[in-house]
Amino acid sequence: MAEKYLDCLGEACPVPLVKTQNAIKEMAVGDVLVVGIDHTCAMKNVPDWARGQGYNVEIEEVGDGEWEVVIEKTK
Amino acid sequence: MEKRIEEYDVVVIGGGAGGMTAALYAGRARLKTLLLEKSLIGGLATYTSEIENYPGFPEGIDGTELMKLFDKQFRKFGVNVKLTDCKGVERLEDGRWCVSTFRTNYYAKAVVISTGGRNRLTGAPGEENYLDKGISFCATCDAARYTGKKVLIIGSGDAAIEEGTFLTRFCSEVWVSVVHDEGHVDANQVAAEKAFKNEKMHFIWNTSVDSFEGDDMLKRVNLKNLKTGEIIPVDVDGCFLFIGYLPNTQLFEGLVNLDSRGYVITNEEMETNQPGIFAAGDVRAKVLRQVATAVGDGAVAGSMAERYISDLDTIHDDILSKDRVIVFYYNASEDNDRAVLLKLETYGKEHGIEIKPVDIYKSDKVMRILSGAHLSAYLYKEGKKVASASLKENFDLSSIESAL
Repeated sequence: MAEKYLDCLGEACPVPLVKTQNAIKEMAVGDVLVVGIDHTCAMKNVPDWARGQGYNVEIEEVGDGEWEVVIEKTK
Repeated sequence: MEKRIEEYDVVVIGGGAGGMTAALYAGRARLKTLLLEKSLIGGLATYTSEIENYPGFPEGIDGTELMKLFDKQFRKFGVNVKLTDCKGVERLEDGRWCVSTFRTNYYAKAVVISTGGRNRLTGAPGEENYLDKGISFCATCDAARYTGKKVLIIGSGDAAIEEGTFLTRFCSEVWVSVVHDEGHVDANQVAAEKAFKNEKMHFIWNTSVDSFEGDDMLKRVNLKNLKTGEIIPVDVDGCFLFIGYLPNTQLFEGLVNLDSRGYVITNEEMETNQPGIFAAGDVRAKVLRQVATAVGDGAVAGSMAERYISDLDTIHDDILSKDRVIVFYYNASEDNDRAVLLKLETYGKEHGIEIKPVDIYKSDKVMRILSGAHLSAYLYKEGKKVASASLKENFDLSSIESAL
């Protein structure tokens, strides 16, 4: 049950999504990936993709215009 | 992963118009409030491009814009927001509620269910494969995509007929599958007459969907004639389903009372059958589902949650956490009640025992939660009810006195 942080601050779409997909691929089932983003478009496409995969998703607003998307690889 | 525990006064489940309003009222009452939303704030209203019947915006306003204003306003009152799915609600031993998400259990004194609903599907084979790939639920959102194309509408209610008429402005042909006999639709008369006169609209009577077909995208809908059983293939570029709406209440089955269609049953104070659980907005069993009615529900739910929490605090601080106290339920607007209270307070002074008068004029919640009765006195020792006496007929405290 590892937790990994992926820094995508300052990066525009589709970079955060691609990085997230690559990072998840490397992870084991049960691991948690925390993606830091500050582009609103990534705030939509990263969680949408993760939910589509059937993963658990939570978005936390950590600052003004800064979010952490928490993804648990459930399968 | 270890689950975290966070404590709140109020947790609102669902970030549509009703939920945001409930959170606004709770937050403004200085309650520690959390709003949970599974995708994006705004709810169903964000699917409407023009809202013309929400008062205060005489020129009409885009649904997403209006919800952005709601969002800005409720956050002003210190409400926390978590964008994640609610996984369940369970009662804790101390009477609070545990609202769980995949990482955190939120312990709340009061919960507002404002989870809204979703569009109903036909359940026909192939449907799953073409959701958002040719099957759509919102003409306003997707009309432009079908400019010059042929679409099929399933259903004949207000939404089906009105949205269908709207689609004729974009599409070359709009076909409508109706379960009823020729000439009968469920929509209002005005909309129906307009649709019957529209040259681009064609009706296929007595039919429902048999299956959906296509490759990557939807190409054909096979309709079935309900009288003859005949299959009618209709080649289309898109298909709109307007066959109703289902409340998002699967999570709450067995927790709160639902009506036969799955909507949460509440009273006028937005209370469900569970103490401390309220409901607001489209998820409630009610007659009109609009932003305007969701806002009304949310305001009531938010302030009733506040009142409930203050009652809980009374119960805990003034009754259950005392070594010994006599609780007396009276109506402060009645002369007789006040006279009995006066006698009881004199008795308390003489015997050195604290009296806790609970006025039921404004709210009888505390009395109901503790299953008390009007004009009765109850002796509590270390959180337990040990004796009672009805002072309605005569002032006789012997049963309490023997337990002191």
